[in-house]
Amino acid sequence: MKNALKSIVFIGILFVLLISISYLLLPREGVFRYGIIKTAEYEILGEKKDSIDVVFVGDSLIYSGISPMEIWNQFGYTSFDMANAAQLLEVSYKDIQVAIESQHPKFIFLESNVLYRESKNKPWNYDWVHFFETYVPIQKYHDNWKKYVLPWIDDTAKFSRINVYKGFRYITDHQKGTNLSYMDYSKKVKKIPEENKKWLQKIQALCQENHVTLLLISTPNMKNWNYKKHNGTKEVADEYGIEFLDLNIDNPVQIEWSIDSRDGGNHLNYKGAKKLSHYLGEYLKKTGILTDHRSDSHYESWNEAYQVYSNHLK
Amino acid sequence: MSYFDILYFLVFVPIVVIVYNIFPKKIRPLILCIASLVFYLFYSKFLIVFLLLSILSIYLSGRWMSSLDKKKEMALEQAKKEEKKEIKEKVQKKKRWILLGTILFNVAFLFFFKYLGFFTRVTNQLLQVAHVDVCFKIIKCAAPIGISFYTLQAISYLVDVYHEKFVAEKKFFKVMLYLSFFPTIVEGPITRFQEVSSTIYEGVRVSYHNFCFGYQRILLGLFKKIVIADRLNIFVKSTFDNFSIYSGMTLACSAIFYTILLYMEFSGTMDVVIGTAEIFGIQLPENFRQPFFSKNISEFWSRWHITLGTWFKDYVFYPVSLSKPVKKITTFIKQKKGIRLSSLVMGAIALFAVWSLNGLWHGAGYHFLFFGYYHFTLILLGNIFEPTIAKICEKLKIDRKKKGYHAFQIVKTSILVFIGELFFRANTLHEGFGMMKKILTDFSWKDFGELFTIGLDIKDYFLLGISLLVILGISILREKKVSIREKIASKPIYLRWSIYYLLILAIIIFGAYGTGYVPVAPIYADF
Repeated sequence: MKNALKSIVFIGILFVLLISISYLLLPREGVFRYGIIKTAEYEILGEKKDSIDVVFVGDSLIYSGISPMEIWNQFGYTSFDMANAAQLLEVSYKDIQVAIESQHPKFIFLESNVLYRESKNKPWNYDWVHFFETYVPIQKYHDNWKKYVLPWIDDTAKFSRINVYKGFRYITDHQKGTNLSYMDYSKKVKKIPEENKKWLQKIQALCQENHVTLLLISTPNMKNWNYKKHNGTKEVADEYGIEFLDLNIDNPVQIEWSIDSRDGGNHLNYKGAKKLSHYLGEYLKKTGILTDHRSDSHYESWNEAYQVYSNHLK
Repeated sequence: MSYFDILYFLVFVPIVVIVYNIFPKKIRPLILCIASLVFYLFYSKFLIVFLLLSILSIYLSGRWMSSLDKKKEMALEQAKKEEKKEIKEKVQKKKRWILLGTILFNVAFLFFFKYLGFFTRVTNQLLQVAHVDVCFKIIKCAAPIGISFYTLQAISYLVDVYHEKFVAEKKFFKVMLYLSFFPTIVEGPITRFQEVSSTIYEGVRVSYHNFCFGYQRILLGLFKKIVIADRLNIFVKSTFDNFSIYSGMTLACSAIFYTILLYMEFSGTMDVVIGTAEIFGIQLPENFRQPFFSKNISEFWSRWHITLGTWFKDYVFYPVSLSKPVKKITTFIKQKKGIRLSSLVMGAIALFAVWSLNGLWHGAGYHFLFFGYYHFTLILLGNIFEPTIAKICEKLKIDRKKKGYHAFQIVKTSILVFIGELFFRANTLHEGFGMMKKILTDFSWKDFGELFTIGLDIKDYFLLGISLLVILGISILREKKVSIREKIASKPIYLRWSIYYLLILAIIIFGAYGTGYVPVAPIYADF
């Protein structure tokens, strides 16, 4: 009994220490402006206010497939991935609220795969993971120890409090995707669940209210996407007047499934992400709305962050 | 689920502990056995079939040999003196066939999964050289995890039963537990049946003391792997994969870093493995004994991957050196050239066999074979020149017992180890030589700055330096036979807990995990 009590006290103190240190390591910009809990929950709040041009919202397809740093390096646009594994549309709505509140981006891309995910089918550990990530954010920000160790050597201090990957997850594994006929033409339509259609309407209203362009995007995905889903999304996009960019049709990104996927065609790996990021950069360039910030001194931290990013990727 | 996965040490092990403690003492080994199979299923999925086939073959052969021994004893009791020899020989012959057949059966799996590709490639190359227009298809398939480890354990079990060191275990699940025990199945240590059977089937209740001590050891392993090895991996991976773009100095550092990484990864895994077993009151043999304090390569290999070394000593070195052909050769040399040369030749033949197999055991590739022969050569040269070196030192009045000389020996041994590990890690033998060439021809201190451009900044190096000093301190204490955990346990609770919190927080804060980090894959699990 005594030992059980001792163990409980030990674990209790450990949690207090973990949570305290977590908050010490959070991005200060966000903590001052939005408070510690919200900053812990949303990585984008570590960014300077109104500094992000484009936000990509969705699930693991987004954080595996789009690298904002590649877009920055090639086009000078600032972007951020707001994505979680198996994200639900209601969570996407909250993300978009936060993105608009903190950044007021010009474009928001929403991954259309999320439209087909229903809350009743969420993974068993979804809430646990979300709870853990929110209240013990140390696993996301632990690298900020560099801010406190040898502070006079300041080679990383300027950006060590923010995420140099901007939400992207760098994964180099590769496993060949073989289902090359996944986008064979079909007239069939996979309907989007009614509940999600309502959430999409709310997201659209939120974006319109704040003059943000909302786009639906289907990133290359051989395992979970098909022509029926394309038809279902197209139907709703046309009905609501939302632009829909299906990058699985005719492979405009020129994904090579033999090398560009990390898990047999489900998610892109870093090679695939570079191609997709480049394609999206080109797409944004064609709109003529965004400006290249690479030589703007206000965005110097992005150039420095890119140095760290490219150094990591060597 | 690897040993460094949060799922392993925070979910899997605690669940096994709870279930294990709920059941009575007799059932507990069975619980460990089931847990081991579940763990294996997580890792290797349907490939578990091959593990089960191996276990079944070992169990049946062991039982068969032991029953023959029993029958032999009974027959000997009733036999006349002149019949005894014949009975013994007859049984021995039968046992030998059982032993050989079962070993071949198990080694066949190992060969198929690990070496078939390599030997097919070698055959194709030879056919090409001979201008024969035939090319065999190279079969690629995933190997059952830990096959190299459990196969060696299985062989040791069978050989020991053959030599009547113990009677084969009657209960199938006990053999299954011995060969599939979840902490050791992936990367060892390679245990002997007699060594672990006294504790593994005991079923002692998990005590608070064992639980705490076990987790302390696990924490040390996590620190070595996540803080040191995974951070060094950033540098090592880049430099070994693209060596041509880096300077000789960077590549020399890379060889050193890789050696440290390998030691931290493997000894860290052993800490997790031994710590897990300790929770259940099971004593596993140590696999490392401060190898970087070694004064020569022979000593290094008696401190590094100890259980593999002793396995090769017992099941290859001694049988080869005591075999009839080798005895014939050495007797001949003894008569012609004296005892020193004959013992050198005997050692050389047995060592050659050991290091050929050691190289191949580590992997199917020319660079692994080279790695084996490199150490064979160093050990052989050490044996040959030892008397000469002793004479030179005596003439130059160098005291070989002084600390300065020991330090020189340690540095020399470490450099030789770094070179060996460079070839071991190189993607091919050709690349290994390419790296060595660059180190020797393109080394300049001016390239020092390059070290800070390969994923590690000055703060990373600072952290690595401090962490390695901590490990060095622990190693010195261990070398002096100081029981660190007992010492900590004797301190007041506030001090004790502070140390634990420091270690846990160090792993969480300074660990190289999350976005941007590629953790070291369990290196020895591939062997």
